[in-house]
Amino acid sequence: MTRRTKTRTGARTRSGIGTRTRTRTLGLSLLLLLLLASTLFPLYWMVATSVRGEASVIKTAVDLWPRRPSLHNYLDVWESGPFARYFVNSIFVSAVVVLGNLLFASMVGYAIARRQFRGKRFVIVAIVSMLMVPRQITMIPLYLLISTFHMMNTYLALTLPFLVDAFNIFLISQYVISLPLELEEAARIDGASDMSIFFRIVLPLSRPALAVVAINTFLVNWNSFLYPLILTNTERMRTLPVGLALYSQGEHSVDWGHLTAGSTLCAVPIILVFLVFQRHIIEGITAGAVK
Amino acid sequence: MQKPHSSKTRSTLVFLSPWLVLFGIFWLFPLIFSLVLSFLHFNPLRPDASHFVGLSNFVQAFKDPLFWKSLKNTLIFVLGTVPVTTFISFLLAVAINQRIPFRTLYRSGFFIPSVVSVVVISIIFKQLYSPLGLVSRVVELFGGEPQSWLGNPRTALLCIMAMDVWASFGYYTILFLAGLQAIPSEIYEAARIDGGGFWGTLRFVTIPMVRPITLFVVVINTIRSFQVFIEIFVMTRGGPLNSTLTSVFYLYDRAFYRFEMGYASAVAYLLFVVILCFSLLQMKYLRMGRAAGE
Repeated sequence: MTRRTKTRTGARTRSGIGTRTRTRTLGLSLLLLLLLASTLFPLYWMVATSVRGEASVIKTAVDLWPRRPSLHNYLDVWESGPFARYFVNSIFVSAVVVLGNLLFASMVGYAIARRQFRGKRFVIVAIVSMLMVPRQITMIPLYLLISTFHMMNTYLALTLPFLVDAFNIFLISQYVISLPLELEEAARIDGASDMSIFFRIVLPLSRPALAVVAINTFLVNWNSFLYPLILTNTERMRTLPVGLALYSQGEHSVDWGHLTAGSTLCAVPIILVFLVFQRHIIEGITAGAVK
Repeated sequence: MQKPHSSKTRSTLVFLSPWLVLFGIFWLFPLIFSLVLSFLHFNPLRPDASHFVGLSNFVQAFKDPLFWKSLKNTLIFVLGTVPVTTFISFLLAVAINQRIPFRTLYRSGFFIPSVVSVVVISIIFKQLYSPLGLVSRVVELFGGEPQSWLGNPRTALLCIMAMDVWASFGYYTILFLAGLQAIPSEIYEAARIDGGGFWGTLRFVTIPMVRPITLFVVVINTIRSFQVFIEIFVMTRGGPLNSTLTSVFYLYDRAFYRFEMGYASAVAYLLFVVILCFSLLQMKYLRMGRAAGE
């Protein structure tokens, strides 16, 4: 009799805990889904506003579901010239900066990881200083430098200063340190030159780190604002974020249909890149933190 | 024996040279030049009229009420957003780290706003905060008055701060998640055997274990927040009544609208010193916290 009761109580307790855990999981999931929906809502709102007809933007500023969606805002901003140009500029500048970082940052990263040389400590301190000092300090001299050499409004000004990023150097050198030395030594014994060791062995082996570098550099450069803002002053040379920001200042300041269409053009490529390469992106971000 | 060594030295130089050149021209030279500029009266439109003024650029900054106003707004921005963002992203990371379905969905979903350009985010929120925008409508629903939230000096900065928290917490959540996942599961197992409940484990295991990452999150978020600029540029341009004038916008305005580049360089160095002090203080304070916890 006593025994049976005991078993029963035990069983009840166990199933009680199970239910409680399940309730907790369910509650937590609901809460997180709700929070996620409200986090993504402003982006949905952007797209929803951009596909509304002009008349309905003015008449009803709040319209959760766009009635009679149309793409004419996109056609307008694209055909008005600057946005197509901004888009091309952004793509080109980002691509050049990514390529530059892939090559130059890995060269420096490799030298730091594998070579002993005089002044190595200075090099490391210099790279750390690039990470620590706020960009606003070099902004004015950089502007003066670029304008003195008549490089304002050139692709050179938008790319050259950003071809070697300090964070990328660290990422690569950390990765190269973790690679086994034997392959490089074997190649050297076989008579391979330093350059061919670097290009034929080290770079291919560093592919995972290079992927992180490429994607993060693209992410940062696509959204870069302050430098493209001060290094350009013609419409033709603006990048997408700068063009969009200046477009939103003048006569279009409450032209939400066109503004959100331009914003969507700027946001969608980067969100797509993120969704495709999210593993690499998150790896790159956490690489600096967990050490 | 000498030959291979020297060729290796030469190739080291080849590997370093692109960086050396770019570092010298675009980093070291500007860094020194801007220090020189901060002691000059310098207008790029009349470069021949520039002259040495000693410390008077710094004195001018200390005497300018707008400089103090911008510093005060920046401090409000930093002190208001950093703790809130840290708190939210820590709690969210703990929640996502539980045994629940859709964990990868949350991990990427919450991160999406932080890959979107701040310009885009500012435009979206400018619309949300406009008198006919969604925020006004919701306030109306609860019996409040619709208004231009960014046009009111009492609410403008707060609105931008709220937006900043929204735009950035996903990024720090990812960092906290990485920190949480680095905690060995044996420690949790031990805490469970010792009978530590959820909150006990959180307080005595999780929080002390993520202290290094918390330090990292707080320091980089503080440095980033001190440089708040794009939001101000797109949404308010410092107004209304300078209520959203931040240090970097002030600096940008002096340098590129009034062309007082010597003065602006002095302001840039002052801002750098403030940021540096803050970072050092945080490192010291949060490290001490760890020592006390041990």
